[in-house]
Amino acid sequence: MLTGIIVYGLVNSSILLLVALGFCLTFGVSRIANFAHGAIYILFGYLMWIFLNWLKIPFLFAILLTLVLSGIFGYVAYYVAVRRVRGIVLSEVVSTFALGVGILEFFRWMGFVTYEFSLPPIKKGSLYILGFPIDYQRLIIILAAIGLVAFLYFFTHYTKLGLSFRAIAQNERTAIALGIDADRVAALSVAFGSAFASVASILVLPLGIISINSGYEALLIAIAVGIVGGLESIPGMILASLVLGFVQIVVGVYVSSAWVMVVYLLAIIVILVVMPSGLLGKFKELEERV
Amino acid sequence: MRENFLVVENVSKSFGGVKAISNVSFSLSGNSLLGIIGPNGAGKTTLINIITGFIKPDSGRVIFKGDDITGLPGYKIAEKGIARTFQIVRPFLHLPAYKNLIIPLYSKRVKSFRGGRFGDRDTVAIDLLEEVGFERDSSVPYKSASSLPHGYLKRLELARCLALQPELLILDELFSGMSMSEVAATVPIIEKLKAEGLTLIMIEHRLRELFRIADKVIVLNFGEKIAEGKPSEVIENELVKVAYLGAESA
Repeated sequence: MLTGIIVYGLVNSSILLLVALGFCLTFGVSRIANFAHGAIYILFGYLMWIFLNWLKIPFLFAILLTLVLSGIFGYVAYYVAVRRVRGIVLSEVVSTFALGVGILEFFRWMGFVTYEFSLPPIKKGSLYILGFPIDYQRLIIILAAIGLVAFLYFFTHYTKLGLSFRAIAQNERTAIALGIDADRVAALSVAFGSAFASVASILVLPLGIISINSGYEALLIAIAVGIVGGLESIPGMILASLVLGFVQIVVGVYVSSAWVMVVYLLAIIVILVVMPSGLLGKFKELEERV
Repeated sequence: MRENFLVVENVSKSFGGVKAISNVSFSLSGNSLLGIIGPNGAGKTTLINIITGFIKPDSGRVIFKGDDITGLPGYKIAEKGIARTFQIVRPFLHLPAYKNLIIPLYSKRVKSFRGGRFGDRDTVAIDLLEEVGFERDSSVPYKSASSLPHGYLKRLELARCLALQPELLILDELFSGMSMSEVAATVPIIEKLKAEGLTLIMIEHRLRELFRIADKVIVLNFGEKIAEGKPSEVIENELVKVAYLGAESA
């Protein structure tokens, strides 16, 4: 039982991290809460399905196409849905949420609601870890989560664009005065966020079917991980994913699987009451008074 | 000296009903140092924000080396070679001091360093910090900006502008919040930069230091330019005395 909890806790935590990473990256860089994140996650799941099943595009090429298109989609979405209301937080949320609802309900209207909509796993089959069976797809999810975090660390510390991301995150006006185009970087942050969402959909959606509702759930996951971890802290997101991921599995095993969804909401409420800047979030306001 | 290095022509800007800048014009020749003084709220920082593209003027033009740069976005103006510090320091708090300089060092402007081959950006950053008075062999350049005292942050802003290799450097109250000894150590740095060919604009309240190094001073009051000239002329101007000290003592 314990081995099961550890293995599935890790898998579940990795799923949460993959789904939340893009949302938190965008917010961390440009303070844009992209409420279309869950919809983008589902949109590219469906697009991937269309590439594979309608257009008969080879699997690897379909993945590549999905990643590229999701990046372009995020970039354009910034200029269409966010740029004009930039800085007005509530309007940003309303605008991106409207975009998200539009995307998701469009697919519902199109009839993308049956059981045929599922993506194939990257690799079929399973193996045993400590006598416990685990399929390759879930193993790949854990590895991908680790890989993506490592990529993000390298990217934000050693590349020009990544450093620009951090500069904008830390002080937008200074960054502009040093020759960084804040609008372009913000658009790129949404682009990266979308691309991360599509990575998550390619890896996570094969575990079940693609459903409209999981788009709303993905947004909830992203918000929960972000709030619990502290929105601009990568270690915080990892910690939050682990805490939420394991608590969910334990609740699922010992209480009831019906309560699993409640974990997100309870965690958000508890964290907002007890430590509003998240487990590892930084008290920005305090520091900026220097 | 190159004439008309920077020309500001009839620039005006209102916020709501308040005229922050009203029909201000001046020109600046290359490799000179212009001081902008005036009481608080005179519009000095607004003027700088207009020149550096952070605020669009309601009317008027800003011409830099013959190009009209009025209303260009801030990052493009930085690319053209105008760097600025901020009155209230704006470091990248969560980066080590020297990493604060990496961002401008990645700019399109910066292709080589002081004529030589570029080499390692971190080393260049540490070199620049040493120039503005960070002790090279100490841990100071490697400390997080959030842990540095105010005087260091001020000089960090200066070094960060220098990393951009600007042609025009605008210092918005660089000396404010610095100790006497820090000011005394920074004045020669500014004189050296000018000797190396840089053109500078300084907004400053420390008039004694400013008047020693400025070639020309303009005085703003309630958004209008009330005087312009050599420091020695401006200091004798009646309007300036009124603006600074009040009508009765004039």
